[in-house]
Amino acid sequence: MSEEVLLDPTNEAEPPLREPATRLGSLEGATVGLLDISKARGDVFLDHLESRLTNRQVEVLRFRKPTFSKLAPVDVRQQISERCDAVIEALAD
Amino acid sequence: MTDMEARGIPTVFVASSEFIDAAEAQAGALGSDPPRVFVQHPIQDRTDDEVRALADAAFDEIVSKLVN
Amino acid sequence: MSDTLSRLGDGLVAVVKEDCPTCQLVTPVLEEVRSAGMPLTVITQDDPAFPPGLEPVDDRELEISYRLDVEAVPTLYKLSNGSIVDRRIGWNRGEWRDFTGLEELGADLPEYRPGCGSLSVEPGMPERLRLRFDDVGSTARHITVGADEDPVEACFARGWTDGLPVVPPTPERVERMLGGTRRDRNEIVTDVAPDYGECTVEKVAINAVMAGCLPECLPVVLTAVEAVCTDEFNMHGLAATTLSMGPILIVNGPIRRRIGMNSGMNVLGQGNRANATIGRALQLVVRNVGGARPGAVDRATLGSPAKYTLCFPEDEEASPWESLAAERGVAAGTSSVTVFGGESPRVVVDQQSREPESLARTFASALRTVIHPKLVLGFDAFMVIGPEHARVLSEGGWDKARLREELQKLLTLDGAELVRGAGGIAEGLPKQMADQKIPKFHPDGLWFVHAGGKAGFFSAILGGWVRGAGGTQIVTKEIRE
Repeated sequence: MSEEVLLDPTNEAEPPLREPATRLGSLEGATVGLLDISKARGDVFLDHLESRLTNRQVEVLRFRKPTFSKLAPVDVRQQISERCDAVIEALAD
Repeated sequence: MTDMEARGIPTVFVASSEFIDAAEAQAGALGSDPPRVFVQHPIQDRTDDEVRALADAAFDEIVSKLVN
Repeated sequence: MSDTLSRLGDGLVAVVKEDCPTCQLVTPVLEEVRSAGMPLTVITQDDPAFPPGLEPVDDRELEISYRLDVEAVPTLYKLSNGSIVDRRIGWNRGEWRDFTGLEELGADLPEYRPGCGSLSVEPGMPERLRLRFDDVGSTARHITVGADEDPVEACFARGWTDGLPVVPPTPERVERMLGGTRRDRNEIVTDVAPDYGECTVEKVAINAVMAGCLPECLPVVLTAVEAVCTDEFNMHGLAATTLSMGPILIVNGPIRRRIGMNSGMNVLGQGNRANATIGRALQLVVRNVGGARPGAVDRATLGSPAKYTLCFPEDEEASPWESLAAERGVAAGTSSVTVFGGESPRVVVDQQSREPESLARTFASALRTVIHPKLVLGFDAFMVIGPEHARVLSEGGWDKARLREELQKLLTLDGAELVRGAGGIAEGLPKQMADQKIPKFHPDGLWFVHAGGKAGFFSAILGGWVRGAGGTQIVTKEIRE
């Protein structure tokens, strides 16, 4: 697809960026997903994040995305959204 | 990643510092300003211990972008 | 006058395209004009090598054709000081001889041959060329969607939709939509609650594109926006209510036929583009320009599918009675929109009644339960009376006034039945009203429109939102194009 221009249908009171998702109040009791985007060394990086999070009593779930260039396939995204409160995606190189 | 944000799940994207420009461009294109943490390039050539050190260095910043 | 035309100089200009038999035919004629020493510029729309030997100006970008307002090729123009003085369209020997003053012109050609369509007026081209070569004066923010993102998804991501996909509002589509009105794009239509952002004709057009409207529907949407943004209608309150209410549009007058609305079978349902998209465009304006979104200002507990779209025309032609518009004071032959704050339709079945008295009792029983059987006077109601029911009434000699009178009588209720606690139901009127006789509806609180398929003894009730101070009132506005 090439770039396209759209006209803004709103009253333009807000900037045209999407609002980010609400952040967590704290990590306590949260389930954090670690999504490995499958560049080399991502696993080492995420393993270490996992151990630091686990030390803070955070539940950690691990996921993998097959290739870097595509968005995560539907079932991975679905699992993440069903089971996780937050996600860390690493490591783009 | 932005798809998770759209589903209401706070997300942080970790990339090497090589990606700073590309990430800016993509964010502008997708109309979102997703939280990103950059770790010092290079990644591939480092030892496991060095990669773990990068993770340590980035940890607080990563957490700060997931939590209020 | 423009720079482009000034650069062509004074004299004759011929616009042609290679893919046109008449343009091929007149090529020797153009050579004759040149040989006679007349200043002639030849403009070609598709092939810079055509016509050969005449050194045509390459107008594949179509800027010159746009500025010359070419509709057909060949067209022969006379220009002076960068302005068009005169033109002849197609080949006509007598006309071209007069135009050029060359009495022997085209002696070998047939008398007359019509032209072909200009490339500059093919579908979609007028808007595209206008955007390319003129400043159309858009004041809306332009948002670039990156090459990685699907424009349909971009609209979802930015929160512009009602949950269903919308047509991405590109400048071209909006330009085409604005062709449906004579109003200036930057004219302020109204302030739209709840944010009270200024709504221009252009903003309405953008949302109409997203809804999927055709340009001919834009005047109806503009009028509907004006109507719901009146203080009397109170769109702010309607959008914010916890009740399942939305703005319902009823269209009357000649515009219904012109834009292909459906007032017959399935009139309240899906399938007709004009019905569906006009109602949807209004909802999108309220959402996007007004800022009324679920969870924010819109706090409806249950909501209603009517909040996607509910817009329909009255079947005036088959109606035995005067139209809603006539009742509301609109002159015959004028088109109008009536807006009503209400809920999704509820069907009323009565397949046995052939006397109006009996049918009226069915209606009254059903109307009794609008909002709550024990609550009265706070709400209006609309009835869509199907043709078979209408026939029962009209064959019995009843007009709208008679029906209204009878329903008022049947729905004047005993306070004792309505007060809180009566019938074992906590809901109801304050106890002190127990010895009163109270009508369910105000005298001007019950409206009828005639619409629906010819077969089926059914009508429908659309219960209304709160009336009075803080509530809503039905509004009718004439459509101007």
